[in-house]
Amino acid sequence: MTTVTAAPSRTHRTRPNVITHLFLGVLVVYFLVPIWFLIVASTKDAHGLFAGSAGALWFDKNFDLIGNLRDLFTFNDGIYLRWIGNSLLYALSGGVGATVLSVLAGYGFAKFRFRGRNLTFAILLGSVMVPLTALVIPTFIFLSQLGLTDTIWAVILPSLLSPFGVYLMRVYVAEAVPDELLDAARLDGAGELRTFFQVALPLMRPAVVTVLLLSIVGTWNNYFLPLAMLSNSNLYPITVGIGLWEGLASSNNGGGQSLWSLIIIGSLISIIPLIVAFLTLQKYWQNGLTLGSLK
Amino acid sequence: MTDAGTLPVENLGQNRRGSSVDHRSRRTSRERKHSLAGWLFIAPFGAVFVIFLVAPLAYALYLSLFTKGLATGTTFSGFGNYVKAFTDPSFLKGIWFVIRFSLVLIPVQMAVSLAAALVLDNVTSRFARFSRLMIFLPYAVPAVIGALMWGFLYSPSFGPLQQLFSLIGQKAPFLLSPTNIFGGLMNVVTWQWAGYYVIIIFAALQGIDPTIYEAAKIDGASTRQVAFRIKVPMISSALILILVFALIGTLQFFTEPQVLGPIANGTITPYFTPNIYAFNLAFTYAQFNYASAISFALGIVVFIGVYIFLFLTRKRGSFLS
Amino acid sequence: MLVTLTSAVAIAATLAACSGSAGSSTTAGTSPKLTNCTNKMVNKDAPQVSVWAWYPNMAKVVDNFNNTHTDVQVCWTVAGQGAPEYAKFQTAVSAGKGAPDVIMLEADQLTGFEIQKALVDLSPFGANDVKKNFSDGAWKDVSQGKAVYAIPVDGGPMAMIYRSDVFTKFGITTPPTTWKEYEADAQKVKDAGGPLFGDLGSNVPAVITALMTQKGAVPFTYDLADPQKISIKLDDQATKDVLTYWAGLVKKGLVGTQDQFTTDYISGVVGGSYATYVSAAWAPGYLTGAGVGKGTEKGQFAVAPLPQWDPSNPVSVNWGGSTFAVTSQATDKKLAAEVAKGLYADDASLTDGWKTQTIFPLNQGVLKSDAFINNPVDFFKGQTANKDVYIPAENQYKGFNYSPFSVFYYAQLQAEVVKINAGQTTGDQAATDLQATMVTYAKSQGFTVK
Repeated sequence: MTTVTAAPSRTHRTRPNVITHLFLGVLVVYFLVPIWFLIVASTKDAHGLFAGSAGALWFDKNFDLIGNLRDLFTFNDGIYLRWIGNSLLYALSGGVGATVLSVLAGYGFAKFRFRGRNLTFAILLGSVMVPLTALVIPTFIFLSQLGLTDTIWAVILPSLLSPFGVYLMRVYVAEAVPDELLDAARLDGAGELRTFFQVALPLMRPAVVTVLLLSIVGTWNNYFLPLAMLSNSNLYPITVGIGLWEGLASSNNGGGQSLWSLIIIGSLISIIPLIVAFLTLQKYWQNGLTLGSLK
Repeated sequence: MTDAGTLPVENLGQNRRGSSVDHRSRRTSRERKHSLAGWLFIAPFGAVFVIFLVAPLAYALYLSLFTKGLATGTTFSGFGNYVKAFTDPSFLKGIWFVIRFSLVLIPVQMAVSLAAALVLDNVTSRFARFSRLMIFLPYAVPAVIGALMWGFLYSPSFGPLQQLFSLIGQKAPFLLSPTNIFGGLMNVVTWQWAGYYVIIIFAALQGIDPTIYEAAKIDGASTRQVAFRIKVPMISSALILILVFALIGTLQFFTEPQVLGPIANGTITPYFTPNIYAFNLAFTYAQFNYASAISFALGIVVFIGVYIFLFLTRKRGSFLS
Repeated sequence: MLVTLTSAVAIAATLAACSGSAGSSTTAGTSPKLTNCTNKMVNKDAPQVSVWAWYPNMAKVVDNFNNTHTDVQVCWTVAGQGAPEYAKFQTAVSAGKGAPDVIMLEADQLTGFEIQKALVDLSPFGANDVKKNFSDGAWKDVSQGKAVYAIPVDGGPMAMIYRSDVFTKFGITTPPTTWKEYEADAQKVKDAGGPLFGDLGSNVPAVITALMTQKGAVPFTYDLADPQKISIKLDDQATKDVLTYWAGLVKKGLVGTQDQFTTDYISGVVGGSYATYVSAAWAPGYLTGAGVGKGTEKGQFAVAPLPQWDPSNPVSVNWGGSTFAVTSQATDKKLAAEVAKGLYADDASLTDGWKTQTIFPLNQGVLKSDAFINNPVDFFKGQTANKDVYIPAENQYKGFNYSPFSVFYYAQLQAEVVKINAGQTTGDQAATDLQATMVTYAKSQGFTVK
């Protein structure tokens, strides 16, 4: 019978040594510097940004984080909050939806042999070779025929598509879910769906969480799709909203108000939900049940 | 443990030599149900795929067979647009750039990401967990905002780079100038995407059965040997997958140069990469037919590139079958 | 985890509520009741007209309009600013659906959309009723012969902003009035160790084109009535002279090569790295919004008329400015035309526009008003810039003939200027190359090039 152990002991892990920690440290600094810049810049006003006293990486003498936050949330009747709400909506529904579709499809490709499987799989790969730029206008035409352009569906529906997610799931499933386990369940009389939910899915958890995280982040960061599909600024996700402010700040004035400080602090705040998502999801990576032995 | 109950389905037919019609039809109907189940799992994704990828693609292909002049109307030109594309110096320059960029960027990116993922898989200290978040963070930053930040950081007037160089009395190089743009973009892209690859590789590493490590340890394998002789080969299909998609994505390079363009003092031309060229043709020059053709021409180049890569790595494991 | 996710989606949906789940629902014959408006409706029963515009004070402008009109209401949204909005409009034009009724377009974009039949001729809808409100030049920019495709709102007559402290420090008592003097003054400042005198940004091809026309160049001659013919003259002596002049300034190190509208350029302006800024009437508002004038540089700016080639024959030129056009996808074109004529045309909106330095209005009512004429501009330390510089420039402006492929042309000119700034080509060569590129392109698009 199969034995299942929870939370593997990871006995292959060695005690952390200096070199690996140094390497990680260098990476952390490299990845952190621009974020640190963002944090520091969020406390400055427009003048401090461009002619600040202490340079780009340290705080200006005029520390105004609260003021910037206040401006951010009150500008244009709080459109920023609406944009964040939109991003949440798109990312969660698009991300979860894409994950569900990818998990099902990946499982299907990995664990079922059917005619045309390899061909379909190859077509899937071939279809992503043409850049999405070519698809914008045809998709727009199609959605406008349905009256769906300039609605949330124009962003959510295309976001459900994640060919990379399908491929990833397929690879993970092929590695992590043994055929024998599935056959055992089938012979025990379980239908395909039950086999999937009760046997395969728990084994796929780290992979599912990975695809979920990547889909959420990918949809959250999506810029050109919503830019092309939406013209109502109330529906913009945060990426398009900040892009709009950046355009206004660069070549226009904000009606006398400098938008740069809003852009900077808006950028900083917009990263926070994704950090939360990452921290929430990452604990599922290591709790995956793994097989002890199937001999 | 093997007993009749766990024998794979396919074997059943072989052990019985009775009425062949019976088990052939039983096997076929089982197989058919099996096939059907497979299709059903794929169906939801397939539906969205056909509606939002295949159909628009077909329409774009159709449009690419026509030529539209601003002064004249739209006429059918067959493959005329494609001939034009492959002899278009703007397109070819762009192709040359993305090929060079891919050949340098992808190995660097993969090396960094793989090393980071292997280290993170090995170490469980609190610092390692913190590093994991930090490595992921740039991926969480949308390219639009990332470009904004790098714009400030690369700025010759008030970026930290300039501050550093002024300490030694030199003028900092402008990382977005035509000579430096290659490195400047490489830096931005590596920074932006390393976390993405680390997550995928890390998850793949988590799926490896840890008892293998025990066996290896008993055999006296060092950490490095475990890493390179066991871990990497075991995730090779995931690695190849990532490399293929990285190749596709880099040949279709668009976002970073597009958003950095306004601050690059003219370095990013309207045809800097083929994808940018297609974008400008479609949305700023109103030449959508030719833009479609350029997109498909790029797709052809990508196909060739991926085919070559898969051919070269066919022995290392494939994710395609 | 599923519970958390579901509740998160619910929260998000609530936050994004009222975002309008449906676009416009059109029933045959009636105007659509639009649900995508950023503004609130005042008269809910009146038919609505959708408007895309990005003026920073647009909310007020729209409210002013809606409060004073019972027969029509404006439904406004910001679809983007500049190029992104044009890209969206282009998509909608290509798709045949999705365009607004009224759209804010800069004048140089009009011809490109006219040729795609994306804009409506407003002369049958009473456009000429408002013709008297605008100067000849402003009206020419929106017309094609007798047809009128947009109503002007604001403009950008060009002038020269300069740093009075830099001029004083280096002994320039009066600002240069000719380009010859400009170069001489630049040399004087450089020799004394001063900053760059100006900047040749490659990303402002509209400026360079305007400067070319100032010497008499006529780059494009295009008439929509004869849509397949175009005349392109980019290698005439005037163009060559202007490009050679600026190439010379770059070569001698008298002007910078930094792209404008970048934070780097702004910090240069703030820090006094550029003694002059050849710019348009909306520049003070732009610079203020960009953060200029808050530190030690406050009050150090002044404006003078643009230097001329021939002082006895002054030529005014224009950079930027926008209009309201009616799109061919508008459901009720007559109503849309009413909006185009009336929006941002009332006193309250216009006054707010120029008082907040958002726009330089082209409406003659404003340009002739005492308040506007004598307005002491804060940015220029109280100088009556409108009276002295901008209004005369606007009144003298004769209009410009735009090609149907302005954006493509600008990109080519930008590429040439990049080469000039890098020292890789001369002014003459740039003009010749530009001519060749544009003629080839026009021919490939099916035009007959005269």
